[in-house]
Amino acid sequence: MSVFLEIAELAKQWSHQVRVGPISLGIGRGEIVALLGPSGSGKTTVLRLLAGFETPDTGRIVIEGEEVTAVPPARRRFGMVFQHYALFPHLDVGENVAFGLGGRGTGDGGGVTQKVAQALALVDLAGFERRRVQQLSGGQQQRVALARALAPEPRVLLLDEPLSNLDPALRERTRRELRGLIKRVGITALFVTHEQEEAFDLGDRVAVLNGGRLEQVGTPEELYERPASLFVATFVGRANVLRGGTAAALGGRNGQVVVVRPERLRFAQGEGLPGIVRERRYTGALAFYQVETERGERLEVLAAPDAARVGDQVRVEAVQLMAFAEPPS
Amino acid sequence: MRRAWPWALTALLAWLVLYPIVVLVLGALNGEAWHAFLARPGEWRALWASVWISVASVALAAAIGIPLAFLFEWLEFPGRKTLGSLIALPAVLPPFVGVIAFLFLYGESGFVARAVQALFGLARSPWRLQGAGAILLVHAYSMYVYFYLFTRAGLAKLDWSMLEAAQALGARRWRTLTRVTLPLVRPSLAGAALLVFMTALGSFSAPYVFGGGFRVMTTQIVASKLNGELAVATVETVVLALVAVLGLALLRHGEGDDVLVALGKGTAPRRRPIRRPAVRGLAAAAGWVFAVLLLLPHLTLALVSLVPYGSWTTETLPPVVSLVNYERLFAEPARLEPLLHSVWMAAASTLAAVVLALAAGEVLRRRSPGAFRHPIETLLELPWALPGTVFAIALAATFSVHDPLTLRWVLVGTVALLPLAYLVRNLPVTGRAVLAGYRQLDPALEEAAASLGVGRWATFRRVTLPLLKPALAAGGSLAFVAALGDFVTSIVLYTYDNRPISIEIMSSLRVSELGIAAAFGVILMLGSALVLGIGARR
Repeated sequence: MSVFLEIAELAKQWSHQVRVGPISLGIGRGEIVALLGPSGSGKTTVLRLLAGFETPDTGRIVIEGEEVTAVPPARRRFGMVFQHYALFPHLDVGENVAFGLGGRGTGDGGGVTQKVAQALALVDLAGFERRRVQQLSGGQQQRVALARALAPEPRVLLLDEPLSNLDPALRERTRRELRGLIKRVGITALFVTHEQEEAFDLGDRVAVLNGGRLEQVGTPEELYERPASLFVATFVGRANVLRGGTAAALGGRNGQVVVVRPERLRFAQGEGLPGIVRERRYTGALAFYQVETERGERLEVLAAPDAARVGDQVRVEAVQLMAFAEPPS
Repeated sequence: MRRAWPWALTALLAWLVLYPIVVLVLGALNGEAWHAFLARPGEWRALWASVWISVASVALAAAIGIPLAFLFEWLEFPGRKTLGSLIALPAVLPPFVGVIAFLFLYGESGFVARAVQALFGLARSPWRLQGAGAILLVHAYSMYVYFYLFTRAGLAKLDWSMLEAAQALGARRWRTLTRVTLPLVRPSLAGAALLVFMTALGSFSAPYVFGGGFRVMTTQIVASKLNGELAVATVETVVLALVAVLGLALLRHGEGDDVLVALGKGTAPRRRPIRRPAVRGLAAAAGWVFAVLLLLPHLTLALVSLVPYGSWTTETLPPVVSLVNYERLFAEPARLEPLLHSVWMAAASTLAAVVLALAAGEVLRRRSPGAFRHPIETLLELPWALPGTVFAIALAATFSVHDPLTLRWVLVGTVALLPLAYLVRNLPVTGRAVLAGYRQLDPALEEAAASLGVGRWATFRRVTLPLLKPALAAGGSLAFVAALGDFVTSIVLYTYDNRPISIEIMSSLRVSELGIAAAFGVILMLGSALVLGIGARR
């Protein structure tokens, strides 16, 4: 895929301790990229640098061959959906959506009314033009924000924690709808999230950030199966992190940190690391078992619901493990 | 270019607010004048009077306002809502109008004195409303409102669960009050005390009308200026300014921080109904009596405005009432002039103060206003820290010299100086309202507009201004009303061509045209109430 949006060596220093970047990332046309990281990892800063609300110290942002690093946000044509939506409370839904169209939403210059109607239809809110934004539910507000950002036909869509304001029951469904919509429009999109599940569900590729640095970029499978660092291995998906003797007992080399996913551990006969089942958490098709080893460490094993019972003496072996060098502290 | 704006704004504000004070202080570097000031016992008496009157005003206002606040915030009784807003009524009376209303009501030949005189068949008026007592009466009446409103706001913010926690820990009512409630509302109380102290210290109308031989610093300054002792007036002004700054520093210290109150979300307090019918009736009756007492000055003013010239001599109540005063007021263009002067000056100064406040808000909302935040906020607040008389004298001193190189022009004697003074005096109230409005704006809204391709100016017009409307209305209406009813600065800086209403009221009183004076007062009162009402509407 050819690069549509290129982020090259982008960096911003806030203070001696706090800096973001340098980050380089190429994004293809129509691709959805998730910026995933814990709070303070710099993911929102990257988004704001892209939007133009922050100015980078070094680096470039290039879109379709045009450098926009110093272009002010108003002329950058990057649409943005804000975390709390930032809908204008003094304007109704139609006026909000028309805001970026150069008209006022009431009079009709250049087919503004029609464009507003189209944008609202796109997010399933046809006919909502004259509603007040305060009357809308959280999910509806989010869709208005989306319609407003899309109406001026931006080159890139940026979303800051787009689902964090919705209640959990709504989140999963909205996630799929949002992905479907972005794909239908065909727009290149970047969004920020701190939830791995959201990043995996919504993004074609996921960029993992930690402490202002880009740890790894890849498809969800790549991140899960072949994490490039101990951080990615533990931040993405559930993981048992083992050191020393336990790591060696499961097959790690000396001085390495071993990471094993719960589903890559299994109960074995005769061979394996001995331990006692302390807890069992039933999830339906499978169950999570907390196994305490003789050294007092806890392992999480995902296995069939009838594989063991609390109090059982078991042996655990690793089907597949990931080994990393101990990171410098 | 963008970098130049903060500089330009800071410089303009400094020129308006700080520069006159600097000129004033430099002008006070005059050994002879200080010698004269220090040698006269009258000066010391006035200084002492200013201080103790201010402290006593705080005590009196607190004694009335705090219990009322608790009563209206914590107890439920018939008429609580109506009375609760009636009780803030003294606020719509401009200081000078309030004073003349008191004169008509409790003065030597006021209604009350006449009634007492008639009742007991006295040959002369039973009292003269004069001296410190009279000043304190007016101050208590007009300033308890601050304590009332501030304490109520503080109590409304109070987390009720803290009081319940105290009770659950075994604290009795008194202990809960002294150890929990009062410490929690302390910032509100200190804020009110500060406001009353500063208002009382700068109060001019009451001492001017009721003082007689009893002088405070504000009246002393104006008297010195009228006597042509400009150097002494300057020294007196500097001394008054120092007292104000000292008082501000001391009381600010007591304000503490608001963090305590904002700690949790908590539960809102619920009002306790008064159960015993007799007590409830008594509370309601007392409340209504109090409300009538508060309304009496307003009613008096209205009644006196209906008395034709010379028709009321010795009777308790005026024998003739008619609208003749209002007719004369509106029929004779010369009489209407002061009203027009006041309106244009108040409007122009308010508009300018709002524009400056908006400029400050725009500069400070930027992500890195850096070094400018503190100077700009301080300059906007400064006029509030100094009595009106101080600014009037300072502006008169600054703009009585033609020296464009030091940014001084002769404005004394022109119509421009008084609105300029109103503008300076209005900066704190518009600044505070507008900056508070900016703080409530979600910065993401501006960014949202930018990401939608809308430029700075259009964003200001289409997003910022509409959202600031309540703050602008609140700040603007308070500023307009203050300028409309101003007496303190006007008496120092007015010329014949811009004489405002308050000055005209004073002249009418001098020639005993009480009805005309009262009619102006009523117009001012209604105008103020109307503007404040519009400003408070959402």
